[in-house]
Amino acid sequence: MIVPFEHVLILAGILFALGLVCILVWRMNLIMLLIGIEIMLNAAMLAFVGGAARWGMADGQVFSLLIMAMTSAEVSLALAMVVYLHRRKKTVAADEFSELKG
Amino acid sequence: MKLYLTLILLFPLLGGAVNALIGRKLPRRLSETLACASVWGAFVCGLLTFGAYRAPVTVELATWLADFDFAAPVTLYLDPLSLVMTLMITFVCGLIHVYAVGYMAGEGDQARFFALLNIFVFAMLVLVLAENLPLLYLGWEGVGFCSYALIGFWYTEKKNADAGRKAFITTRIGDTLFGIGIVWCFQLFRTESIAQINQMGGVVSAGVVTALGLLFLAGAMGKSAQVPLMVWLPDAMAGPTPVSAQIHAATMVTAGVYLLARMYPLFGASPAVMAAVAVTGAASAFFGASCALAQRDLKRILAYSTISQIGYMMLGVGCGAVTAATFHLLVHAFFKALLFLGAGCVIAALHHEQDIFRMGGVRKGLPLTFGAFLAGAACLAGLPPTGGFFSKDAILAAAWAKGGLLYGGLYGLGLVTAFITAVYTFRMLYLVFGGEGETTHRFPRVMEFMLPPLALLGLFGGLLNLPEYLSAGWLGRFFTTALRDGAVQLSPGGELALQGIAAAVSLAGLAAAHLRYGGARRQKRLEEAATTPRGMTAFLLNGWYADSLYRLLVIRPYEALAGFLWRRVDEGVIDDSLDRLADGLGTAGQGLGRWSCGRVSVYLLSFAAGLALILGWLAWGWGLD
Repeated sequence: MIVPFEHVLILAGILFALGLVCILVWRMNLIMLLIGIEIMLNAAMLAFVGGAARWGMADGQVFSLLIMAMTSAEVSLALAMVVYLHRRKKTVAADEFSELKG
Repeated sequence: MKLYLTLILLFPLLGGAVNALIGRKLPRRLSETLACASVWGAFVCGLLTFGAYRAPVTVELATWLADFDFAAPVTLYLDPLSLVMTLMITFVCGLIHVYAVGYMAGEGDQARFFALLNIFVFAMLVLVLAENLPLLYLGWEGVGFCSYALIGFWYTEKKNADAGRKAFITTRIGDTLFGIGIVWCFQLFRTESIAQINQMGGVVSAGVVTALGLLFLAGAMGKSAQVPLMVWLPDAMAGPTPVSAQIHAATMVTAGVYLLARMYPLFGASPAVMAAVAVTGAASAFFGASCALAQRDLKRILAYSTISQIGYMMLGVGCGAVTAATFHLLVHAFFKALLFLGAGCVIAALHHEQDIFRMGGVRKGLPLTFGAFLAGAACLAGLPPTGGFFSKDAILAAAWAKGGLLYGGLYGLGLVTAFITAVYTFRMLYLVFGGEGETTHRFPRVMEFMLPPLALLGLFGGLLNLPEYLSAGWLGRFFTTALRDGAVQLSPGGELALQGIAAAVSLAGLAAAHLRYGGARRQKRLEEAATTPRGMTAFLLNGWYADSLYRLLVIRPYEALAGFLWRRVDEGVIDDSLDRLADGLGTAGQGLGRWSCGRVSVYLLSFAAGLALILGWLAWGWGLD
């Protein structure tokens, strides 16, 4: 492997932190929140693939394929919900929706 | 060589990509020129490749799929078979592209049309030049997708969109089995390279080769519209005529024959597979010809005749005569493209009238089209000495030479089919061009100018591979430099006798058609056609009721099952139980919900804080060790 495993992990960590910051800071827009989650999932996938290459086992790749399938399902559902929410309140700011509060 | 091969693929891909991405912004003329130039560019590169060709070459362009010991790089393989296919595809598709410029002149959305046509050519070239099975499958699916999108090009009418979907789903049945075959190949041989697989037939048992061959045959059946997966082709006529010509002549439907010819070294060892291929071919040939006998729609006649002619090619492969099958494939590509383009001219001149019983007298209005159509019809009917006569006879001779009860019977069926072919071809010709009819309308002249080159190639296509007694055939000699042909050789006398029989049969068909439709008798047939068809005519008109049979056998049970799963399982069991569960959880949630503040951002922040806490604890524990 040309790229050392540590570098892959560091890059994954940076990506994860970026995604986390994105969802913490950008609360005015649900879509940005989804993008932040995607970035964090990609960080996890990168770590998995790096691990698979490091130990020469396919498990990590299988996991990242699984994550891809899972995220595509998740995003399609979540975007449908965003459309629905926007139709209800004409806004996508996360804090506007507090109906779940008991 | 590498440069030429790359360019052959790159030109249509680039043309398609440019038209797809920015075609709407380009002026119409530029978009059309781009599409035509890219295919003709590929043809020129094909000619240069032909000039530089000495021996089979393998060219690796890029890595594509690679994982541990599985590898499917973008590797091209050029041997006589793929070379002649490439030349034929780029030439015929080039003519069709120019024709399409005229045919689609009054239609909108030309960028989508030409982008799809170009990508179609690209996918077909990938299929033909691929060195490994996954790459071949990529092209295979590519032509499938493009044909789906082109058949339903006028998608605002439900009928056209349905025809596209039907083609897609029907071919998908075969494609799935073929896909299973490809994966199984890797499991058996640990390689996907076609050349290597072809040499490893002896490694596995004969039964496995047979099963593998049947899977590949199923794929070929779907793509080449052979019995029993032929129902999509007649409906595919819903697309624009240039698309019909492109799908039915040069690309797509010949893919199945090409695949079986390509894999012949592997499957030729299994008599069961070869017999299955031959029987499928002969049955399709007979089915298509008999249905064409009763059709009223000009394009549907040609569609059924395609099923029939591809059946002949399959029969040729099944007899081990790869050369003869490829020979017929080439000649058929020329004359079938000619017939479709000619039919397009007639239809355009008669304001999109497709019923042959409402046509007539077209020979006076369109003399050039009439001459070209006559040449194409002579080839299709196998009148000597056209190209169609030599190529069809080569296949029949191979079946005869193979001998035995099975192949003898198939030879007989082939002869009967040849007779029917001549009858329906000239029935079409008499009805469309004979008699008197309304005056023709003007249409772009460029369409007619595409016909003469194809007519010449169809008429003189026999020169490609003359029979043994005249001189050794060029195609045969070219193929033996790199390919194995399993056809049994006949003595010159025997071959001459068989050709005599074939010529007599096709001339008899011509005579029969003349007796029934020629001269004054044509009017009587027109009166008969006004009544509703009954009995045998209705049976043939509806394609042996294959659609109704599939509706009964497959679609009805499927709909019943889907209804059951929807009403009983989904709504009854799953939804109901989920509703109960949701009610329970809702009650519990209301109790728990009193603790929450309802702001997502606070939750996320507490997530992050918890994560920081856990990480800190882990780091602290690690520090202590």
